[in-house]
Amino acid sequence: MTGVVWLLRRLVASVAIIFAVVTLVFILIHVAPGDPCVGSDESARDPAMCPLLIRQFGLDQPLYVQYGRYLLQLLQGNLGYSFSLHRPVRDALAETIPFTLQLAGVALLIDFLVGLWLGIYQALRVNRLPDVVLSNVTLFAYSLPTFWLALVLLLLFAEKVKLFPLGGPSDPVLCPLIDSAYCVADRIWHLVLPALTLGLVGAAGTARFQRAAMLEVAQQDFVRTARAKGLSERRVVLRHQLRNALLSFITRFGLTLPFLLTGAVLIETIFAWPGMGRLAVDAILTRDHALVTATGLIASTVVVSGNFLADILIGIADPRVRVAADGTGSPLPA
Amino acid sequence: MLSAMPRRLRLPFSILVAALVAGAPSACERRGGCTGSYCGTLIDAAVGEPGTLLPTSTEEIVARDIEEQLFLKLADVGMSTNTVGDEDFQPLLAQRWEWDGPLTLVFHLDPRARWQDGQRVTATDVAFTFDAYNDSAVASPYRPQLKRIASVTPRDSLTAVFRFRERYPEMFYDAVYHMRILPAHLLRPVPRDQWKTAPFGRAPVGDGPYRFVRWQAAQSIELVADSTFFLGRPRLRRLIWRFTPDLGVAISQVVADQADIREQVVTPENLERLRAAPQIALYPYRGNVYTFLSFNQRANGDTAKPNPIFADREIRRALSMAVDRASLVRSRLGELGKVPPGPMSSLLWIWDPEIRQLPFDTAQASSILNARGWRDHDGDGIRDRAGQPLAFHILVPTTSVLRKQYARLLQEEYRAIGVRVDIDEVENSVVGQRVGTGHYDTAILSRANDPSPSSGIAQTWTRAGFGGSNFGRYANPEFDRLVDRAIAATSPDDARRLWRSAMDLINADAPAVFLYSLENMAAIHSRVDNVQLRPDSWAALLRGWRIPSSGLIDRDRVER
Repeated sequence: MTGVVWLLRRLVASVAIIFAVVTLVFILIHVAPGDPCVGSDESARDPAMCPLLIRQFGLDQPLYVQYGRYLLQLLQGNLGYSFSLHRPVRDALAETIPFTLQLAGVALLIDFLVGLWLGIYQALRVNRLPDVVLSNVTLFAYSLPTFWLALVLLLLFAEKVKLFPLGGPSDPVLCPLIDSAYCVADRIWHLVLPALTLGLVGAAGTARFQRAAMLEVAQQDFVRTARAKGLSERRVVLRHQLRNALLSFITRFGLTLPFLLTGAVLIETIFAWPGMGRLAVDAILTRDHALVTATGLIASTVVVSGNFLADILIGIADPRVRVAADGTGSPLPA
Repeated sequence: MLSAMPRRLRLPFSILVAALVAGAPSACERRGGCTGSYCGTLIDAAVGEPGTLLPTSTEEIVARDIEEQLFLKLADVGMSTNTVGDEDFQPLLAQRWEWDGPLTLVFHLDPRARWQDGQRVTATDVAFTFDAYNDSAVASPYRPQLKRIASVTPRDSLTAVFRFRERYPEMFYDAVYHMRILPAHLLRPVPRDQWKTAPFGRAPVGDGPYRFVRWQAAQSIELVADSTFFLGRPRLRRLIWRFTPDLGVAISQVVADQADIREQVVTPENLERLRAAPQIALYPYRGNVYTFLSFNQRANGDTAKPNPIFADREIRRALSMAVDRASLVRSRLGELGKVPPGPMSSLLWIWDPEIRQLPFDTAQASSILNARGWRDHDGDGIRDRAGQPLAFHILVPTTSVLRKQYARLLQEEYRAIGVRVDIDEVENSVVGQRVGTGHYDTAILSRANDPSPSSGIAQTWTRAGFGGSNFGRYANPEFDRLVDRAIAATSPDDARRLWRSAMDLINADAPAVFLYSLENMAAIHSRVDNVQLRPDSWAALLRGWRIPSSGLIDRDRVER
């Protein structure tokens, strides 16, 4: 019962946070300098046209009227019209979110599988040659700017060696739609460079994080006790050390997930990946109010959900947290 | 290393690696089949994506390129880009035309013309199109260009009658160039104030040489040749615009043979990369964009007051003479730019190197500034007058690397004559807002010309452009009179002479420094044959391009 209360409390708090973010984004984009009528500054403009467009999209109304209207639309599931894309915002998001999920999903998989494994591998060989080498390699990889790595990979593997495609999510001639196994393979082929760029840099960070967590847990009494009981090294590492070190891993997951979904703007731009980050930046540049607010809504929902998910996973992984959350016991052993 | 991994993680890790490795070779396989003369596929590496493909509402260049293939005009300019009379105009939807009195132009439509849903193209469509372009609810950017046409009415199903308000040399051009004829039977049910967001704009039905196939947001737009097109079957079977947000990546796609054309290469660095690609042929053609440093002649933020620096014609002349435009063009653009002899791109027929321009002369610039009291009284290297330094800001959009480079070079040139310049790099929408409301000192702006000098120059440099595109509020009644007379001149020689006088005058007044006019260079795969690039629209003659059967590559043969 107390678990349900905790869940409800978190849900209400989450909705409040999302509402606050949407309100803030709505106000900021409306008061930010910039003219939503400006398309290309190369075209001569008809003085009568801009006021017409502003009236058509209701931008001549006071801010509170626009905001009230927006909230009413939102409650009806209507995210408004994008005046830069000339289409409903919902349609634009429905097309970009799957691409973002694909890229983020694969990047996350690379990040955590490679990072987790490297972290464990290093922790088990602490201060030996493989650990020292991998520590330096991961530090180097972690310090690489992702956009630089993306450009280098693109130049090397796409333009010079021609092993991978130069941007886009699929071959526009052979696979404009994913309608065959061949086109699934084509999509994977197009995903390799952007996902590797995002995933490998992330994996370097995860590996360093995981190594430190494993080493910290290795000093705990219960690990020593497990060894004293005569358990196999494998069982000690996987059942006791790794499980406890996973707490920080899950926290990192909760923080990384939103970044991958909304923060891959540069990668999406360089690899011409039609994801949500690119959509959001274009919307900001064109002062597309409805689209900016909608991407803010999605981003805040993802951030809040990521943290919510991380909290639940931590609760599953560590009963002490559940006890603390229930308010029925001490969160940490005395 | 796999053995060191926990057993539970080994399987998913292996699957991931296998999938990534297997993806590459399988994606390299090609499925082909098409042979013969109609198999070509042309992929354009496009930077930017249209918002809609409804011609009344589009301003983006890429949208206009695509609409060239989907919607026909009544007639179009020829390779000469002449806009006076009807000389060299090419018939499209209109089979022929004649004058019925000085103010009435009659078009006879080609009876073979069909919309791609099978309906005939009729004079009702022409009248409907004119009405739509003029409807304030549609808010078409082309509406000002049609203001001298009083009405368009159908005489019968294949005859459309244009009536003009006045007689002028570009009547025919105005009648045919700005409007693409739209299908009345499909668009009439759509409320006019919803045209900008109408689904038709994302899945258009046209009457042109190509049919719309699909639009994948932020990825590509695909068209396929209409084999029954009444003016002849297009030779290229499929056209794909592949959208890339970054020009460098678009160039890389062409270099790496993953796209067939980049119609503008923009910088000498890109040109060098493309020259090194053996499969690429380069085609120069006249550009339609010029760029200038606009002096705001009104006080920054208050259009009621004169600007303390730029309201003075002599100061503007001095600041113009301080800029070595030829060197700047040579160093930044090379063969991709020219110094414009006034507010024009090389597309315009009034381009004339003999037009009088202010020379590059820093000594004269300095003496003018000295004479106006701007001297370095305090020895800090910056001129001042009554305690005020001679200083101003240059506004420049963050999106244009070239213009940002120019801002820095101008800053250096002005520093050399004792003028302090600060650079404000802001987003394009902020540039638009600030110049539109007069909140700027100077700004590096660009303008695209259509083939006629009339509308663009009048809107940007005469009093008629106040509140519109004449951001710097340059006003000289004599210049306005010359432009009006040039527009109304009945003979090309008179028009040319009057335009030249107008350009002499505006150069002497120096409302801006006319920095560069871009010269276009298209990079096209060398297997493409019969390439013709009309300067105002590279894609206008695409239906005549072809890929000989001997030059077909895998993507040309693909059947779906």
